Amino acid sequence: MTEDGYNPYEMAQEQFDRIAEKLNLDEGLKDLLREPIREYHFNLPVKMDDGSTKVFRAFRVQHNDALGPCKGGIRFHPEETVDTVRALAMWMTWKTAVADIPLGGGKGGVICDPHDLSDREEENICREYIRAINQNIGPLRDVPAPDVMTSAQHMLWMMDEYETIQGEKYPGVITGKPQDMGGSKGRTEATGYGVIYVLRELLKELDRDIKDTVASIQGFGNVAQYAAELFIEYGGTVVSVSCWDQEDKKAYSYYKEDGIDLEELRSITDRFGSIDKEKAKEKGYERLPGEDWLKHEVDVLIPAALENAITEDNVGEIPSAVDMIVSGANGPITPEADEVLEDRDMIVVPDFLANAGGVTCSYFEQVQSNQNYYWPKEEVLGKLDNSMTSAFYEVWDLAQRKNVRMRDAAYMIAIQRVAEACEARGWV
Amino acid sequence: MDDEKIMESLRDEVRKEQSVPSEKDQTDELEERIKELNCFYRISEIVNDDSLSLDEAMRDIVEILPPSWQYEEIASARIKIGDKEYTSEDFEETDWMQMSDVKAKGEKIGKIEVAYNEERPERDEGPFLKEERRLIDTLAELLGRFVQEKTSLVEKSAEEPARERQDWEVIIDLLMKTDPRTLLRMTRKMVYHLYRYENEKIQALLNDVCPVNNGGGAPKWCGINMPNPKHDLDSLRTVQKEVFNVAKENMEPEEISDLFHKWLKEDKARPLLLSSQKRGIPLVEITEELNRFFRKPESEKALAEEDQMSIRTQLIQRFFTDRLEFVNVAKEYIKVDDYEPLVKKIIGPARGAGKLGGKASGAYLAQKILQEELNDELTEYISCPKTWYITSDTMIDLIHYNDLDELIHVKYLDPDEIRQEEPFLEQLMKNATFPSEITEGLKKILRELEDNPIIVRSSSLLEDNFGAAFSGKYKSLFLPNKGTEKERLSDLKNAIAEIYASTFSADPIEYRKERGLLDFGEEMGIMVQEVVGRQVGDYYLPTYGGVAFSKNEFRWSPRIGRDDGIVRLVPGLATRAVDRIGGDYPILASPNRPNLRVNSTVEERVKYSPRYMDVINLREKRLETIDAVKFLKDHADEYPDLENVVSLYKSGDLKTPSGLILNPEKEDMVVTFSKLFEKTDFLKKINNILSVLEDKIGYPVDVEFASDGEKLYIVQCRPQSQTLDQERVKIPRDIKDKRKLFSANRYVTTGYIDNIEYIVYVVPEGYTSLKSRKKMQQVAQIVGELNKKLPNRKFILIGPGRWGSRGDIKLGVPVKYRDIHNTALLAEVAKERGGYEPELSFGTHFFQDLVESGIKYLPLYPEEEENIWKEEMFFRSENKLTEFLPRYEEFEDVVRVIDVGDISKGGTLTVCMDGEANCAMAYLEPSDHWQWRMKKAKQMGRQLDPDTYGIKELYVVGSTKEATAGPESDIDLIVHFEGGEEKRDRLKNFFDRWDQRIIRENERRIGKRMDNILDVHFITDEDLKKGTSWSSHITSRHKSAKKIPLSESD
Repeated sequence: MTEDGYNPYEMAQEQFDRIAEKLNLDEGLKDLLREPIREYHFNLPVKMDDGSTKVFRAFRVQHNDALGPCKGGIRFHPEETVDTVRALAMWMTWKTAVADIPLGGGKGGVICDPHDLSDREEENICREYIRAINQNIGPLRDVPAPDVMTSAQHMLWMMDEYETIQGEKYPGVITGKPQDMGGSKGRTEATGYGVIYVLRELLKELDRDIKDTVASIQGFGNVAQYAAELFIEYGGTVVSVSCWDQEDKKAYSYYKEDGIDLEELRSITDRFGSIDKEKAKEKGYERLPGEDWLKHEVDVLIPAALENAITEDNVGEIPSAVDMIVSGANGPITPEADEVLEDRDMIVVPDFLANAGGVTCSYFEQVQSNQNYYWPKEEVLGKLDNSMTSAFYEVWDLAQRKNVRMRDAAYMIAIQRVAEACEARGWV
Repeated sequence: MDDEKIMESLRDEVRKEQSVPSEKDQTDELEERIKELNCFYRISEIVNDDSLSLDEAMRDIVEILPPSWQYEEIASARIKIGDKEYTSEDFEETDWMQMSDVKAKGEKIGKIEVAYNEERPERDEGPFLKEERRLIDTLAELLGRFVQEKTSLVEKSAEEPARERQDWEVIIDLLMKTDPRTLLRMTRKMVYHLYRYENEKIQALLNDVCPVNNGGGAPKWCGINMPNPKHDLDSLRTVQKEVFNVAKENMEPEEISDLFHKWLKEDKARPLLLSSQKRGIPLVEITEELNRFFRKPESEKALAEEDQMSIRTQLIQRFFTDRLEFVNVAKEYIKVDDYEPLVKKIIGPARGAGKLGGKASGAYLAQKILQEELNDELTEYISCPKTWYITSDTMIDLIHYNDLDELIHVKYLDPDEIRQEEPFLEQLMKNATFPSEITEGLKKILRELEDNPIIVRSSSLLEDNFGAAFSGKYKSLFLPNKGTEKERLSDLKNAIAEIYASTFSADPIEYRKERGLLDFGEEMGIMVQEVVGRQVGDYYLPTYGGVAFSKNEFRWSPRIGRDDGIVRLVPGLATRAVDRIGGDYPILASPNRPNLRVNSTVEERVKYSPRYMDVINLREKRLETIDAVKFLKDHADEYPDLENVVSLYKSGDLKTPSGLILNPEKEDMVVTFSKLFEKTDFLKKINNILSVLEDKIGYPVDVEFASDGEKLYIVQCRPQSQTLDQERVKIPRDIKDKRKLFSANRYVTTGYIDNIEYIVYVVPEGYTSLKSRKKMQQVAQIVGELNKKLPNRKFILIGPGRWGSRGDIKLGVPVKYRDIHNTALLAEVAKERGGYEPELSFGTHFFQDLVESGIKYLPLYPEEEENIWKEEMFFRSENKLTEFLPRYEEFEDVVRVIDVGDISKGGTLTVCMDGEANCAMAYLEPSDHWQWRMKKAKQMGRQLDPDTYGIKELYVVGSTKEATAGPESDIDLIVHFEGGEEKRDRLKNFFDRWDQRIIRENERRIGKRMDNILDVHFITDEDLKKGTSWSSHITSRHKSAKKIPLSESD
């Protein structure tokens, strides 16, 4: 891509360059890390339902595997570009590194629009993809997972094709499988709980009692609900959650001064986290505009819905009482807003640390699958707690020591870890 | 060959023949003639049967006689030959006898007697008819000859090896004497039959009868511009004889005999044929005639093919419609036998000639076509709900019966007035008394239905008939049909009355007005249908219902063609699939492309799944919308075919149930119809149905259906072009090139949008050269804000590539549905970049939202030569972006907001999308705002009576007068007033009422409410003298005012 304008890969490289500068990495390492270590570009000839053959362009990018087998999703996207895949592969390297799990970063994609494909055609794409890449992935090389427009079903097709080619069972070649087909327990809770494990440790560090802590959460989907669940279980108070209202085509936040009753709200919520506004009113919740979620006098904000939730336009509306933001969603704070938050000395737990519960659980799935031995839910969540807690402290300590923001500290740790592994292997 | 000529000369005869008994009840007389024929036929059979002895023959003949007389139930007969006597059962001599002598060789050898054993009214000969006299005499003569033959049999058979006279000749003899018209028909048939013999003699004869131009060989041919000679009846008789002689020479006797028997049998359907040809024959008469026909033994129901066709077409025109396209198709499928069950289901004024109406016709024809054309397996699967029909004239009958005649003229009132009257008219109808014959009919329906819920549907003559989309203009009402018979009857009448009232409501009348159908005598037929479904808990509902279109006007993928069709499916009543309901979605599928799903990810499939369902609450006796998933879960065990309806949501994945759902209470159900689509051939069947119907009917159709879990019921079928929003509008041919803005020729769906005031154009080059993701997201934000500020549905969005891009947003503006939901059209521009044409999105990111809110989608390929793309027009006018959103000045090169008025001198933009022709055109329409305003002013003038309102003159000034008025302009009026307070108040009231009307109409025109459009200024004589402010418009030479004519008073 040589066109001018926005390019996600260049953005990711710029970000890396900035941290690499801080870490004072040497040139060889920088050259190695600012680009993927291996890339596969291939064409998939796929038999279509009408008997014709259509060729789909596909990629698998392995950014770095110094810490362990690559890990990253496979996207089905009509607008896929290799630069997007490269950027996302690099992001995976940092994400696994900061969570301190022994995996590298990768990403894959197929340029296709599932809206134009039948199930069988999608299955054919999955199987063709594995036929093309099977020599270069594997439980010990590179482990794909579901991503944009791919689901557990796609993963099962891919796993099946891989196992057919190998002639042996390899449930660990892919993650994101359904629970009864080699998936891990605790996956639904993992991201939301992870957010609260981190918050819990943060509060300890700040010497504040979680029981006296009040939070406002944006969203009421999977992440938001489980975050609220654990937070309330720990004794915290959630005064507001928000959701999209399909009927009115806008977001609302629901507020209750003495704290929401999670079970009560769940009972009037549909599968997408849309709360029934009439019933909420009956149950004494105040319905406010969606953007009001960040206007409440609380201690902590947990954006757990969409990207760009906090922008330069609304960052000023966050009351001065708020001094912590834990990012449950991906990219909830725009860079401009982040600058404002920095000036305010807001403690911001960055997204790729706070929501690392998801990728950590994927790692657990891989481990369990490789052992062909599956842990009970408590064990998964217990291990997740340990992992998240220690990842948090690494970042927190570094941020304190170097007096940098947590976001930078997280990047520094991630890049440092990968760099050290490369060096240890004698690559540079 | 010119059969037409022969037909014509014979047809003339038939016409004459039909016109003879004009006053008398034609059908009754025909019945009598048929009895005669029967009698001849059977007697000729007997006399030609050599195996019978004279005794046996006589015994048979005497039994045949009584049924041939008018009062067969009291008739008996006796034949005396010599000293032998033969009597029918119960013969006794009475005062009412008819007698004829049997003679042989001129001598009396016996007699035939027919007796009535009761008195009957006096006719030609006592109670006997003159036709009966003729009959008895003919029979006597026949018997005489027969007795003579039988007794001299021995000698005769010695001299003649074969009998000279055939039985059919006997019939001809008889017919000549008694029924020359029937004979004429037989002759005609024989001529037809003889045509197939290419024999010189026959040709010569035929030429003689019917001179035709067959190459100059016909001596009597007078040329095309001269009338052919007329034959008198005598010469026709000669021809008859000749015809039969030729027949005799060319055909075997048995063959002629067989033909005659066949024709005589066929002739028995004549009463039905004649009745069906009667225009406007009353319901009771045609019903009776049909029943008489159906009661005949099977052997007598044979119809000649031409009679069959004639009866079919006539009946179709009597009961269904005169529209030839319909008749043409229907005559192949709606058979005479079909009327036997059908007439039992028709209710209407006995003496009326109403029809069943458009909707009923469509549904009935579809049902017949499917029965005929589909294979057995499918016809077993497909059914139609029990349906009754109330004829269209019942409404008129009801109106006259209740002296509500003024209702008929309501249509000529102003729609706004009608709108005000509507509730009153409805009550008027509801309080009308139904004539007792109709009430009895309705009671019958209710008894036959038991207490199953019903739907009462409108089926007007205009509906579904004239290429106009009346669907949804008239009502369809559900009735739970619970309670005592009295309650149920009253509910049913109430619903029917409401539908009748909808004929007089403003919307359909306005619609008719627009299409020039106002003067048509609209009548409203009614269909009373049993609701398909069963009881589940307290509710009554079908397992699923939906509507299927043979043409797909909502393609979500370029791989789906227009011919692949589309199905909209919901659990419960089909109402939610038929109408668009904001915030909820039906499941969409393409029957010919079952594998291409609208929604591919789990999130989308869950998001765009039906959440509610419409059901009939039997306990509360009303239609209700309930939470679908909760209901399905609560009644999982009772819900028929549940596995085909839902998928199970489990940790982020959707599973199609593989067998039964064992633990419904623990499952998270999502309505997807996955199993129905994937594991059954439901879509294949639908596809089959659609293609058969489209093929046979000859145009795209829309079929409403419902399933009770076992069978699929077809409840409606109509032309798709008449469905709301799918009406085809062809691109006008006379658009000048300079008015055209852009055109398209790929993946065009059907739609028509006019009165567009703004174009929001995201400049492709500008957008792709934006330097950061943030800027691109800001473009989405700008579009979102414009969406809020621009008038609802009066603007269109044109942008590069894929609207709603996620991920690589360089390929399209990353809007969400909420950012575009007020637009009328979403257009995507595919501009080639480096030899690569970007793939367009087809709106997939919010496809179902677009469908359900009626937002049209159009892909544009400006680089294709044949397409028009006047991009320069978007740059020529001032960019209005900062006028709406001042803070986005820096985006002026990226987002252009064009006021269509600026590029069209105050006009608007129309986008006409013709899916059938696969082309679309956007063109500028000149402004008509001032004309509309002027029209309103003139209308007001016509209603203003100078005396009543104290008004001397009325003038229009300002923008309306200057022809510069825009969509938001006032109408400035000057009133030259000369009355007192009272008249002034009256006049003010008058203008206030008009203002409200104009405001409403303008809102409909421009999509935005503008208050106080009417600006009225009063001036008096005094003002005029002084020349004060407003009067200067009239007095000043520099200003001008247009005088508006007022109502003419005496």
